[in-house]
Amino acid sequence: MTDAFVEFLAATVRIASPLLFAALGGILSERAGVFAVGLEGMMLAGAFAGVVATYGTGMVLAGLLASIAGGMMVAAVVAVATTRFRADQMVTGLAVNVLALGLTSFLLRGFGARGEAPTIRVTTLPSLPVPWLADLPLVGPVLFRQPALTYLAVALTVIVFVFLVRTRPGLTLRAVGENPTAVFAVGGNPARVRVIAVVAAGALAGLAGAVLSLQQVGTFTDGMTHGRGYLALAAIIVGRWMPGGALVGCLVFGAADALQLRVQAIHLPVSSYVIQMLPYIVSLAVLAGLGRTARMPAAIGAPFVRERR
Amino acid sequence: MSARPLAVSLLAVALAFAVSALLIAVAGKNPLVAYGALLQGSLGSWDRIAVALNKATPYLLTGVGVALCFRARVINIGGEGQIALGGLAAAWMAMRFPQAPAVVLPALALGAGALAGALWAGLAAVIRLRRGVHEVLVTLLLNFVGVLIVSEALQGSLGEAGAGFPQSPLLARAAWLPHLIPKTDLHVGIVLAAVTVVVAHFLLWRTPFGFRIRVLGASAPAAAYAGISPPRTFLSVMLLAGGLAGVAGAVEVLGVHYRLIEGFATGFGFNAVGIALLAALNPIAVLPAGLFFGFLETGALAMQRAVGVPSPLVAVIQGLTMVFVLSAMGLTARRRRV
Repeated sequence: MTDAFVEFLAATVRIASPLLFAALGGILSERAGVFAVGLEGMMLAGAFAGVVATYGTGMVLAGLLASIAGGMMVAAVVAVATTRFRADQMVTGLAVNVLALGLTSFLLRGFGARGEAPTIRVTTLPSLPVPWLADLPLVGPVLFRQPALTYLAVALTVIVFVFLVRTRPGLTLRAVGENPTAVFAVGGNPARVRVIAVVAAGALAGLAGAVLSLQQVGTFTDGMTHGRGYLALAAIIVGRWMPGGALVGCLVFGAADALQLRVQAIHLPVSSYVIQMLPYIVSLAVLAGLGRTARMPAAIGAPFVRERR
Repeated sequence: MSARPLAVSLLAVALAFAVSALLIAVAGKNPLVAYGALLQGSLGSWDRIAVALNKATPYLLTGVGVALCFRARVINIGGEGQIALGGLAAAWMAMRFPQAPAVVLPALALGAGALAGALWAGLAAVIRLRRGVHEVLVTLLLNFVGVLIVSEALQGSLGEAGAGFPQSPLLARAAWLPHLIPKTDLHVGIVLAAVTVVVAHFLLWRTPFGFRIRVLGASAPAAAYAGISPPRTFLSVMLLAGGLAGVAGAVEVLGVHYRLIEGFATGFGFNAVGIALLAALNPIAVLPAGLFFGFLETGALAMQRAVGVPSPLVAVIQGLTMVFVLSAMGLTARRRRV
């Protein structure tokens, strides 16, 4: 194993972790029947709020909480518009992405003089080597010398899986995504479940933004998510709406991105742009392969309307 | 159409401006002064108006296609990729035949743009119809691929060596769209766009094809029962919208930049969706909605220069308008989607 290869794998895990947070959030939202097109905007709000709060208070914890809150605020717009007003879920997602891009760029300039964007620098989260495990060959540097949020992303994968598949509220959430009328018939409140699921998705997507701004870059720039929210959406599809599957999807996309950055160094015969296309083409292929048998949540996209008698 | 959609759209715009005024006030500026500068910057002189009309041109072309698609309940959000490939094809054509006469070359290039955009949208339609994958996901994913194809082309055969930025060389003068008014930037694209909007209006309300679009949008089973083929109508409206988006990309390349530039279509596709919604999916109403977006974006930079209110405020106004219109549509349309 050469150092370059180990570094490539470590980079794969590093790049996959923001995608994973967002994808886990998206799974909660989509399993409850609400398309998660707004992940991009939620991530962006989280990235922005995290940097501003960390800079303002000097405390990383405050930054992380602000990231969560930022993502939740954008998610709340989606939740209210799609449940209370029954707005189209996908187009509402697009709308909040435009809104979040505009709002974060506007507010960033609010901190500068005469409408120019200032550069707000914060120290990035350090890597936390796990004692003993970090010294293992190969897996040590790849898995156990990562920053804190990467460990959290992996832990959350397990937690979201257990929640969805092994708990009563998780069952209710999935039922709302499959057949909200049935949940309503047994005394549940599908609209409320959806609101909670979408806002929870916002919290996770906010953390995804924190990984980008607080853990990887240490600053905020306009539109810094660069479509990663959409990539997370694709990872959910590739992972067939399960946390473990999404983890694999995120790692594959992370590997593609890590490879793309190294194309020139390792003299690959393809351009970096072609490699950048891979995640989208793989997602399309998976979707097309799933075809009509795709086990998408059955009630996804459909607003829940109470029958009136 | 009743007056209701108009009232909804005007109310949504007013609300978006009101909320944004709060933001301006929070940033410590006077909202009225800012909006005054916005107006001045978009309508204050013939030059500004020319810039705004150019800005609105691709929005009108793409927006009217999106409106027709949404009418048929075909949620095509692939404008960005279709525009990108339309621009690519137009630039390729202009570079391939630089010796062609000045009237023929822009027409050839526009045609190539239309074809490329239509093919890209057609690919999405085929994946949708053959494999049953929702068109939102297909068009969204193909956007990224389309934009990357442009980057790839600019890195390869179409790129300008040593430019320092991914762009093509300047296109031959014969390929440039003629200017409408001398000494301004205004090119003939706006006429093309306005004619397209009017034609689309008649297409939707006065032709059998328009009737098929409307029936499919009302109910796919009803369309099938009435002898209308939903897949064929789906494919046709996608090809049409893709072609229009391709023309939009070509117009941007041939009329504004005179070359292909990486990222020239960024955000255009999503703006077109916002415009179609603001127009309540009514082609003729795309004209004021598209012009509104064009003037808004043109005025924004002037506003930032004049009073220091950051120009991204415009995206806030656009995003809020979309959310408000969507909410109102959801409330009034009951179980319908878009």
